[in-house]
Amino acid sequence: MHIFEGFLPSPWWQLWFVFSIPIILFGMYRLNKLVGERRDIVPLLAVAGAFIFVLSSLKLPSVTGSSSHPTGTGMAAVLFGPAITSVLGLIVLIYQALFLSHGGISTLGANVASMGIVGPFVAYAFYKAAAKMNMNFYLNIFLATAIADWVTYVTTSVQLALAFPVGGALTVSGFMYSFSAFAAVFATTQVPLAIIEGALTALIMKYVVQVKSDVLVSLQVLTSEAVNKLKGAMT
Amino acid sequence: MTQILDDYALNSPLREKNNWLKIAITAFGILVGVSSNSPVTPFIIALCMSIATIHFSKVPAKFYFKILAAPAGFVMVSAVIIAFFSGAGSEVFGFDILSHRFAVTIGGLNMAFLVLARTISGMSCLFFLSLSTPMIELFSVLKATRFPDSFIEISMMMYRYIFVFMEVAMGIKYAQTVRLGYKDFRTSFRSMGMLGTSLFIRAWEQGEKLYISMNSRCYDGRLILLEEDRPIKRSEVALTSAYFIIVLVVFYSTRNILLI
Repeated sequence: MHIFEGFLPSPWWQLWFVFSIPIILFGMYRLNKLVGERRDIVPLLAVAGAFIFVLSSLKLPSVTGSSSHPTGTGMAAVLFGPAITSVLGLIVLIYQALFLSHGGISTLGANVASMGIVGPFVAYAFYKAAAKMNMNFYLNIFLATAIADWVTYVTTSVQLALAFPVGGALTVSGFMYSFSAFAAVFATTQVPLAIIEGALTALIMKYVVQVKSDVLVSLQVLTSEAVNKLKGAMT
Repeated sequence: MTQILDDYALNSPLREKNNWLKIAITAFGILVGVSSNSPVTPFIIALCMSIATIHFSKVPAKFYFKILAAPAGFVMVSAVIIAFFSGAGSEVFGFDILSHRFAVTIGGLNMAFLVLARTISGMSCLFFLSLSTPMIELFSVLKATRFPDSFIEISMMMYRYIFVFMEVAMGIKYAQTVRLGYKDFRTSFRSMGMLGTSLFIRAWEQGEKLYISMNSRCYDGRLILLEEDRPIKRSEVALTSAYFIIVLVVFYSTRNILLI
């Protein structure tokens, strides 16, 4: 869920831009470097971004009956790394703001911060740490995606609570109170949604390992031994 | 759904107008709307932008209000939260749940109305741009800025592939639905997984094919667009400045007016 256009009052939307712009610039620098080394990556990244967009515009089968959709950023973070995911997230968010009126331009900084930066970075860190500890690949994907989702929504709640604390003026208790209110409202849809998205992404990964595992090897998500082991476990 | 906004933009009479002018109008509306302290200014902006979209851009009013109502759900829920938890002042009304007091204060209610007005004005500004300017026009604007080429290239190709995949995804989903692939939660979950996977694999293969075909046509990392020169007419300048002046006057004169 993105923060809508005009929703954040004045000091906050600028501050989130200040937070996001350096990271986006770093992401663009990484992207430029990667493109300079491997020019064939441009179309692949473009279709990956389009994939995120299409995936996020499909409605999930939701238990609560609300219309929820996957964010896709957890999966992108695992596949491409968080810096590039933040740039892809920026483009996806601009398109969503212009085509679907989902999100907005003045709140773009805040939305990029939650969906494109904090969520993917945490998911990526979790995935790498868990992979080192030899966690099962599918369980790892499931947890990384679900955590990316939750962290994204916690960040959104923080952003809203900072802008609209209880009592008008920003105090610690007012912030905490307002944060718990926003988080509680979001949690009703987000807790089951993140679990479903995590399971769905794990299922997608299972099919990808079955039919196109060389992609995962070339993106250095898995080593070829790990892929062989996963394939061996299936048969 | 996604095609629709862009389809209207392609047919819009405002398409042939100067892109920078349209972007300036949108940015002005967004910035003034978000920094306004009274709900009056955002309301005026929303009114002007809606008139511009429906009258000049020839978007059917019914469709326009339908898409404007779509984000209302999220905004309403959040506005209720703000009304209850944010702001200070005397209570308007309140009630007790489990010996916990929930109350709407004057400050909270004013804040909720203000946020609601700002959101609607921002939305109407965004719709003005996206219903009058196809993405292709915006790319030439992007090219004039100093964003890195790789970023612009990726956005352009992404734009193209969104429509390709949307079609593929809708086709697969339809085929799955008529085969009862979404009859209950378990099957729909499995179907979604298959849909996501085949989309991912197809996306990957399309990307490889695209790279080969573009490379064989001498692609060197830059797509070059033909840019049209579109001078701004005097009547447009007059109308835009009238709009700017009205909004600024309203902004200045209503800066302390609250709804309640």
